[in-house]
This record gives sequence, structure tokens and C-alpha cells, in this order.
Amino acid sequence: MISEKKPGKICRYGMAIDLDKCTGCGACMIACAVENNVPPANPAATDLTGITWLRVFKVDNGEEYPRKESVYFPMMCQQCGVETPCYLVCPQQAVDVDPSTGIVFQMPERCLGCRYCMAACPYHSRYFNWWDPKWPAGMEKTLNPDVAPRMRGVVEKCNYCHGRWHAARERAAQAGLKDIIPGDYVPACVEACPAGAIEFGDLNDPASAPAQAAKDPNSFRLLATLGTEPKVYYRSKRPWAKRIGDPSQAPGSKETSRG
Amino acid sequence: MDRRFIPTGVARCSTSRFLMWLALWAALLAFGLYSAGLCLVEGLNQTHMNNRFAFGLWIFLDLTVIALGAGAFFTGFLLYILKRKELRGVINSAVVIGLMCYGGAMAVLGVDVGQPLRAWFTFWYPNVHSMLTEVTFCISCYLTVLLIEYLPIVLKNRKLRQVPHFLVFEHELHNLVYVFAGVGTFLSFFHQGSLGGLYGVLRGRPFAFREELGIWPTTFFLFILSAAAVGPSFILLTTWLVQKLARKPLVRPAVFESLGRISGLLLAAYVLLKTVDTIVWLRRTTPRSGFLPAQYYAWKPFGIWLLFVEIALFLVPMAILLIPKLRARTAWLVPAAAMACCGVALNRFVLTIQTLALPTLSFDRFVYYLPSWQETGTFLAVVAAGVLVYSISFRYFVLFPEEREL
Amino acid sequence: MRNTRRNALKFIGGAAAGALLTPVPWRLITDTALWSENWPGIPRPARGPITARFTHCSVCPAGCAVRARCVGGQPVSLAGVVGHPLSRGGLCAAGVAAHQLPYHPARLTHGPVEAATGAIARAAANCNPDAVAALAACNPADGVAVLDLRPGRTVSWTYRRAMGALKNGLYLTAGGVFSGAAVDLSKARTVLSLGAPLLDGWGTPGNVLAARAGFRLIQAEAIESRTASLADRWLRIRPGSASALASGIAAALKKGSVAKAAAATGLTQQQIAGLADELTQHGPALVLPGADCPEAWALNELAGASGITVVARQEAPVPEAWNRNCAPVTPLASVADGSIRTLIIDESAPADYIPWNAIRPKLIADNPVVIAFTSSPRGYARHSLFTLPTAVYPETLEDIPAAIDSPRAAFRLAVPLVAAPAGVVNPAEFVARAAGIDATSALRERADAIRQAGRGVLITYADGRTRPVAQIAPDDFWKALNEGGCWLDTATRPSAPPHLDWAGIDVQPAESRRWPLVAVLAETAIAAAPASPLMTKLDQESNLRLGPGTAALHPDAARQCGVSDGGRAVLETALGTCPIRVVVDASLPPGVVQVAAAPETIDICGAGARCRVLSL
Repeated sequence: MISEKKPGKICRYGMAIDLDKCTGCGACMIACAVENNVPPANPAATDLTGITWLRVFKVDNGEEYPRKESVYFPMMCQQCGVETPCYLVCPQQAVDVDPSTGIVFQMPERCLGCRYCMAACPYHSRYFNWWDPKWPAGMEKTLNPDVAPRMRGVVEKCNYCHGRWHAARERAAQAGLKDIIPGDYVPACVEACPAGAIEFGDLNDPASAPAQAAKDPNSFRLLATLGTEPKVYYRSKRPWAKRIGDPSQAPGSKETSRG
Repeated sequence: MDRRFIPTGVARCSTSRFLMWLALWAALLAFGLYSAGLCLVEGLNQTHMNNRFAFGLWIFLDLTVIALGAGAFFTGFLLYILKRKELRGVINSAVVIGLMCYGGAMAVLGVDVGQPLRAWFTFWYPNVHSMLTEVTFCISCYLTVLLIEYLPIVLKNRKLRQVPHFLVFEHELHNLVYVFAGVGTFLSFFHQGSLGGLYGVLRGRPFAFREELGIWPTTFFLFILSAAAVGPSFILLTTWLVQKLARKPLVRPAVFESLGRISGLLLAAYVLLKTVDTIVWLRRTTPRSGFLPAQYYAWKPFGIWLLFVEIALFLVPMAILLIPKLRARTAWLVPAAAMACCGVALNRFVLTIQTLALPTLSFDRFVYYLPSWQETGTFLAVVAAGVLVYSISFRYFVLFPEEREL
Repeated sequence: MRNTRRNALKFIGGAAAGALLTPVPWRLITDTALWSENWPGIPRPARGPITARFTHCSVCPAGCAVRARCVGGQPVSLAGVVGHPLSRGGLCAAGVAAHQLPYHPARLTHGPVEAATGAIARAAANCNPDAVAALAACNPADGVAVLDLRPGRTVSWTYRRAMGALKNGLYLTAGGVFSGAAVDLSKARTVLSLGAPLLDGWGTPGNVLAARAGFRLIQAEAIESRTASLADRWLRIRPGSASALASGIAAALKKGSVAKAAAATGLTQQQIAGLADELTQHGPALVLPGADCPEAWALNELAGASGITVVARQEAPVPEAWNRNCAPVTPLASVADGSIRTLIIDESAPADYIPWNAIRPKLIADNPVVIAFTSSPRGYARHSLFTLPTAVYPETLEDIPAAIDSPRAAFRLAVPLVAAPAGVVNPAEFVARAAGIDATSALRERADAIRQAGRGVLITYADGRTRPVAQIAPDDFWKALNEGGCWLDTATRPSAPPHLDWAGIDVQPAESRRWPLVAVLAETAIAAAPASPLMTKLDQESNLRLGPGTAALHPDAARQCGVSDGGRAVLETALGTCPIRVVVDASLPPGVVQVAAAPETIDICGAGARCRVLSL
């Protein structure tokens, strides 16, 4: 389902992530979970069955000490702009691509839980509720009223803190403006990063950080050759790190390391 | 005791032996229903599927049984549209098998989704771009068609025929059988194809992604062809198995000959097209998506040997089934049919399991998956239910019209 | 129309067909979707007016400024305060979810808990302050002590005054080789960290990251920790040889021989000499010791950093009256063995955990009375006779002294954003009552003393203003502090920290067949902090960190110990055992087990302890 076009300018929200700044502290991951009412993990959950809309990986250059180098790699929904795989495959239109923001929005209330979108996503950025979510007694008081908690059996993913976008639109409307006040809409991860490694902005605005990252020769996108036009630009001055997005650089059959 | 219900002119085993047979499968069904119940009540954490392995045993087996159940529509197509009269001897059995396969697949799908109560959303909010919408619609319609085709078989029962309404109803249905066969063929064409299309459109999974012919990826056509090729083989296999269990001939040998030859011809077409498709996929499609073919087979245990085994499992039965001398001998015919069925199972396995196991990002890791006992149990429930339905149908309805003469 | 069956059927059929033309059935179909969209048991977030409140995070000693988004008065999310001179708007992963601490399922809320029997039973002594006072009075020879794990707070002064009022009162801290020092990262050009988690929770994370571009970081560590992977240069030394490296650098700075150090660390002599050269030629330098070589602070003086990057720690002014008759600060290590009868441990503010075997010898051998104030059952509650539950952040009102990386004194309050549950005890009130002093308005008195001293500025966050304190009335000052304001001392010429002789400790990690592995503690910064239930995102639901109760081994070491990835095992050292879950990590050196730091593991491992892993 494509939403109706809303009045105002057309934005294409994207991110610019500086891999040389990210320290892997995980504040972005926790801020995301707090903002989006992600439940605490079931005791039996693992890194393959947990819910981490934003997940930081440790990626290295495959060398041994002293040539070994690592970066921390924050991964979230890449908000594919063209031939969005998850949107095309959902049998009941539980994925909505908003033309006025470019955000790929998942509707857990519509989701059947068939997980076809998870098979379609090459970035593994979709997460399924394998368990009934349970909050410890009292912790439900800390839930964010702008985001609906999900139930078991549905898929969820990063939506660039869509609740914050709505709140920013309301504030703009109250101020009598048609468009969001620049800088007023910032996802939780961007706000939380102590190193300022994640920047957010409108790719249609040439002055925004993502738009500038798009032109930066040190930038790359993940799996750009697939043609999905992801809107997250990663940046690093290290030559080996710039090849992380290249699928033919996928690791061969060697022992996998933690992270 | 239940003599009155058994069709005239055929012999069946004693009631107590039959009940014992049923009890065995009913026990398995009970265990399977318990497994499925656990998955429904506790949630899908009872399975070993995870965020990287969104599809597991169930989807793989669903695809396989739907391909094997294609014998139902294809036999109907051959009999009623192409007028291959010798297949009249197996059409009823084929319909029951098709019903078991499709019914079982739908039942498992009901457990596989996270929110079964929302199953109707696909019909109410369909997404025209999605292959899965098409699959859902077509399989639901086709299941209805199969039920309607099953109805005459039931209604022809000795006792039920005595009810005039049923007799009239059955007769009217019989007049429409060509319509249902045609509709069934049409629907099956599309859903077998769309099942292939499910994977062929996955741009994000270059291992599964194929280029388009018209608006469909090549897997669409390859799946139809493989299903049509293997359907008759499966009917052949099951008929042979039932003959063995019943310890009497149920069909004329010409039926086996016919099924085997049709299967062989279609397998030949399939192998040819599959080879072309594989070459195009490895030489053109894969590099265009930025991946290297070597990446597909770099992970144990999915080495390049898998590709060759897949081809062999189609090539060898094709050869056997095309040689009349070999085809005439059961010792060659039946294993060839079994190999073809295994080949299609491997083909579906490769597209579901291997696709998801392979990493896509450069820092992904290769993921292993083994089904949990709950998943296996749920599928065993389908098998048990199928055997139960088939056993009851075999005992009380005429599944093999030629049995009386033989 | 006649009343026949046919007519009735016609009517019903017609009505049904007609109803299809109305919106009713279509709406009903769509509305049934609602039934499947909401399960019972899924909570509905409460709505209410949205406000912003300011406070400071007391989860670790950094005290980062916090802006809390509150819905109907309840904090639902936390963020840093952009542009803050101390925390620079940064808030770490633990701080971002810290508003959920009060609801952690393992949090202690009622007591007193008697640990010895494991049953929650009211013991005869009843553990009330008067009983403690009576205990203190009856045996003048046996000491009463308060062990303050986070000194420098106003509460610390209350303890000192209380222990001063008792004849046999002692005020104890962990001590530490260089507790009188602070670090000025902004002046550093070369930083040599001997295993300190500089980029992983050390000091004030926002401040460290803001200063990062200004210095070259060399991390000397046995494993590729987070800091090592982010450093400009990682020197892989043998596990447990950080002290040896410090010795080598000291020797190089004094133009002596580095051969022994090279042999112990596995580095070459040129590398060690080169390090010393880098410290002197590309200064100002800073040497940061890790937990296993605190004596390396002395290297800073040898490298000429005293008074530049390492300065004397400043404290906010205190009321004059407090300085009279308060117990001196006594390091735990300097207390005679067997001289404390009653020990009160304040674990209410998260801080570095001291292994129990450093504390136990100081207590009398028979039946010492140990009272722990804590909210966690995992720390000293395991060793204490009585455990009294305390409030957690953000229920508490307490002050946070300046962190180690703030050369200027600071005073800021963590203000209560939610009410504490009934049944929690305030440790300061308890100790004050036991000693017979009144300290209920200690924080106000401190604030007044700061205001009276007239130095420094007050930073308020809601309006973003910075004003000299002298221009603010005392009541306004107190009110601003309670609304999350921060007092920052005027910048003065930094003074050198206390002199520290280089002791030249030469520790050789001993090879042992019985203990083939060396334990390296990981995630030390988080060990101190209690964790929101959402922190599982970082360890259990991703592989970013080692979660509590886990230990990582190289695949070969795992094979030798007979354990596999995800399996249960036992970590054993000379001091005891601890159950762990094994994680296999090929990036570790083979002879090392990386153990997630937690009270249970710190109790049995020191830094660099030798150990072994046994499969179950």
C-alpha cells in the first residue's frame, strides 16, 4: 500500500554513518529499544531470535595482529528506495512506503507473521516476535505513548522513529508551518549517539549530512549492486572498510568470530 | 462388520485389522496435533526458526508436497482435457492424494504464520505485487476445487448412493468434471508457478533471484514444469505402494507405462530448461547483482556437489523413464519415480533452506538450522492425517475403478 | 404476505442481499481485524502531558547531565543535554535506559534480608539504627566502620561525621593508589593506556569522545578490547604483564634497561623504548593504568605530565562545621586485620566492586556484623548478614562529585523523578541515626556552603544559561540545583597531584599447569552499573558485549577444556568457583579467558588471576 501524498515538500530521509567515529558503545541500540517499546528479551532468546531494530556489529579486515583492524557497524533498516523488497512481497500490504518521506513503514497490526518480508530483506533488518512480549511489573509505566507495543507473531523493524516524525509534524502544524521545522525530527539513535557517528537528514536537501555523504568518495552503501537504492550511507577513510558493502567481499568458509 | 460400506466386487481386510492400522496412524496424528498445539499456544519459539532462518522445515515440506500433489491437477488435465483414457484408473487416487497434500500444506501454513486469525487479511487487503498473494488465492481456490472433485468419490459410496439427493448431486457434478479439471489446471498452473516466483523475485537473495520472462521470473516456469513432471511420478509411486500394501493389482500396467513416459518426457524438457537457466544465472544474473557464484557453494555442507546431485536426481530418472525397456520393468520404474520425487524435494530444499542459510552481507555468518521436534511432529501430523484419509477412502470408496477387473 | 416457510425464506434472503449493499457487513469485517490486533496482556502505554525534566545520571561516577522526557510525570526516555561542558550531551547505553532500573525484576525492595540462611526472616537484632548504635557502644575495642564505595559525595561527609562521632568509628574507602588525582584529557597529546577502558566507559564518555581527536591513543592490552580496536595503535602484550610494561617504561624514562620488561610483555626492547620516547617527545603525555597496575600512575610524573594532564582532584566547598570532628579517610588496605566488628557497606550508588577477600580479613573472625545497603542481590548482599534495600536512580536525591576526567570541581544533584517504593532505607539517615548526629539537611548545607564560597558558575539546562554563582540568591541556587542545574568551579591554574614514588613492581605472571588460563575481566565499566532489562540487546540479543555470567575462550582453548559455544562450565581460581556460560571467540589469544566482570567473578578473579575452565 502506498499512502496518499501529503501536502508539503517531498523528503527522502536518509542517514550518514561515520564508521571511524562509532565506538560500538550500543547507546543507539538501547535508545532505539526505549523509544520504540521493544520488550526485554525472553530468557531463551539469542542473537538470532532477539529484537534489535538497530544492531551494531563488529567487523574486521580479516587480518591477524598487528595488521588487524576493526570497525563497529550500526545496522538498521536501509529504507530501500527502489523496488523495496519487503514492500513488494508482503501479501497483505502490511508495509507502507510513504512517498512524502521515503520511509518504509511496517504495520504490525496488519502483519500476518508469514515472514516472507524477512526472507526478502537482504539486510536482515526485520525482526519477528518469537515470544509473547513481557515487561517486568511496573516497567510498562516507562513505555512511550507514541509507539504501539506489538504482540507475538508479527514482524517489526526500524521506521526512523515514525512517532517522532508525527510529533514534529504536529509541532509544525501548531506553528502554522506546512513542513517540519529542520532539525526538529531526529530519530532516537541519532540523538543518543555520544560520538555523533549517526547523522540524519533529507537526501533531497543538498546541505544535509546524508546528501553530502552521498557525494563523498569515502562513502558506500551496503549491497548497492542489488539495485534496492538504500538510503543509509556509511563512511570510512579506511580502504578495507569501504569494501564492506561489496557483496563479493563476503567471507569465505572460515571460522566466524563473535560479533 | 462394515461390509455394507465397502464397494461391491472388491475384497478388503478385516475390520479389526483396519482399525489397528488406523489406530497406529491416529496415535501419530495425536502426537502431531500436540506439537502443532504447542506451536499455536506457546508461539513459534517452539521451532528452531530464527530471524535469519525465517522459513524452515514447514515451508520446505509445503513446497515439496504441493509439487508432489501436482499429480492431481496434471492427471486431471491429461485425462479430461487431453483425453488420455488410460489414466481413468488412477484419477480418483490422484484426487485424494492431491487433497491430502494441499489440505496438509494449508494446515501447516496455519501453524506457520504468527497470527493465524489474520489469515483473511490476504483476501481483504491483497497486494497485487506479491507472489504470496497469488499463491494464497490460487491454493485456496484449488483446495476448494479438490474438495469438489473429492465429493463425487465420496458420494459414489454404496450406502451414500442410496440417498437420492446425493445420487442426483453426484451425477450433476460428474457433468461438470471437465470444467473443474480446466479450472484446476488453470489455478495449479499459476500457483505452482507462483511458488517458484516466491523465490525468483527475491532481489535481495541473489542465490534465488532469476531474471524475468514476461512478468515472471524463470523459476515460475521451472516450478510448473518440475511439478508437472514429478506429479505423475508421485502418482505412480503411491499407486505402486498401495498395490504393495493391498497385495493385489489395482491398475493395468499400461497406466504405469503411461505415467512413466509422460514423466520422462517432461523431465527431459525440465532438465534442458533448468540447465540453460542455471548457466544464465551463474554467468549473468549473479555477477550483475554483485555476487560471485563461488560464494554460493563456499559453505559446508552446501558445496558444489549439491548442484550436481540436484541435476543428477532429474537426469537419471529422465533417462530411465525414456527408455521403454527399462520403463516396462517395475524394478527400474519405481526407483526412477522415487528419484524424481527426491529431485523435486531437493530442488525445493535448495531454494528455501540454502537461500536463507547463505550470507548476503559481507559480515554475515553462515547459519545452521535443524528443525525442532515440534516442527517435525507437526509435519508428521499431516502425513498421518493423509494416510488416515487415504486409508478410509481406499476402503470405502472406489479409488481404483480397474480393481474389480483385475 | 402469507406466513409460509417459503415467504420467510424469501424475506431472509432478500434482507441478506440488501444488507450487503449497506456498509454494515463490510465495516464488521474490517472491525473484526481489531479483535486480532490486540491481545490481552499487551500493555497500553499511559498518556499524559509531556514535560522535560533535568537531572544527572548517578549510575556511574561520571554524572552525565540528563534530559528526561516525562509523560504525566513518569520518565519514558532519557537523553543527554546538548552542549554541556562536562558531558557534552553524551549519555551511554546504561544511562539511556536507566529510568527502567526501578522495575528490574531482581531489584531488592523489601528487607531486611538475611543472607546467611537465605531466608527472608526478621532476625533478633532487627537491624535498626539504634541496635547498631548499641552494638557500637558495647565493645569499644571492636571497630564500627562504614565502607564507602563511592567517596566524594555529600553522603560521604555524613559518614565521616558519623564515624567521627563514634569512639571507634572508621570511615573506609577503597583507597587506591591515586585517588587524589584528576585527568585533563584536553591537554593530552599522547595517551598510553595500560588496559584502561578509555573509550568504553572510562570517565565521562561524552568528554572523552570530544577530546579524542586531540590525542594519539596507544592501548597496551592482551586482548582486542573495544578501546584497543578503536585506538590509534594497539600493542598486544602478554596477559597480566601490564605492570611489567609499566616497569619497562619507567626504566626507559630513567634511561635504564628494558630487557626484563620486554621478556615479560612479549614486546621488543625497541618498542618499549620507543613508547617512552613518544611520551616525552610528543607530550603532554598521559599514562592511564588499568585495574591490574594502579601503580603506573607514577609514570605520569616521570613523563612530565604532573600538573598538566594529571592534576590534583578538586572538591566542591563543604561547610566549615563538617571539617571539625570528622573521621579521616582511611584506605581499606591500611586497616589492621580482624579489627572491625560491625561493617556497614554502602553499595547504594553503583561503584567498582572490591573483592570480598580484600574485605573479610579486616573483620573479626567470629560473627562479624555486616550490613549492606544495596538494591542488587548480586553484590555484597551475598556476603552480608543483613541487606537493606535502597532506592535506585532515578528515585534518589543525591549529589555527584566531579568525575575523574574533570579538572574542575563540580556539584550536581541526581533529583528524584519517580517515588521510591515503600520499604527502602536511606543509608545516610541510618548511619547518622546510629551515630546520633543529624544529617537530614546535609545537601542543603552543602549547597549553601558552595553558594557562600562565591566561586564558580551555575549552569541551568532548561534555559541554557550559565551565571556566576555570586549573583544568585541561596534559595534560588538550591532550587536550580533541584531542577537539575550544575555548579562548576571557576577554572584555576591546575596544581600537581600528590607525589607518588615509582615502586618498581615487577610482576611475572606465573606459568602453572593447574591454572593454564589467565582471566581478563571484560566490560568492567558496566559491571558496576546495574542494568535495565533492555541491556540484553547488547549481549544476549547481539554479540556486541559479553553478558553477565559469560566468559569467552579461543576455540582451541575451548576444545582443550571440553566446552563448546553456548555450553555451561565452571570457572575456577584459587579463590573459588563461579558458574559461567561459554562463548567461543577466535579473536582471543589462546591462553586467555575473557570473563564478564560482575561481583561473582571479581570475587574469584583479581585482575590477571590464573584460572581454569571446567566442563560440567
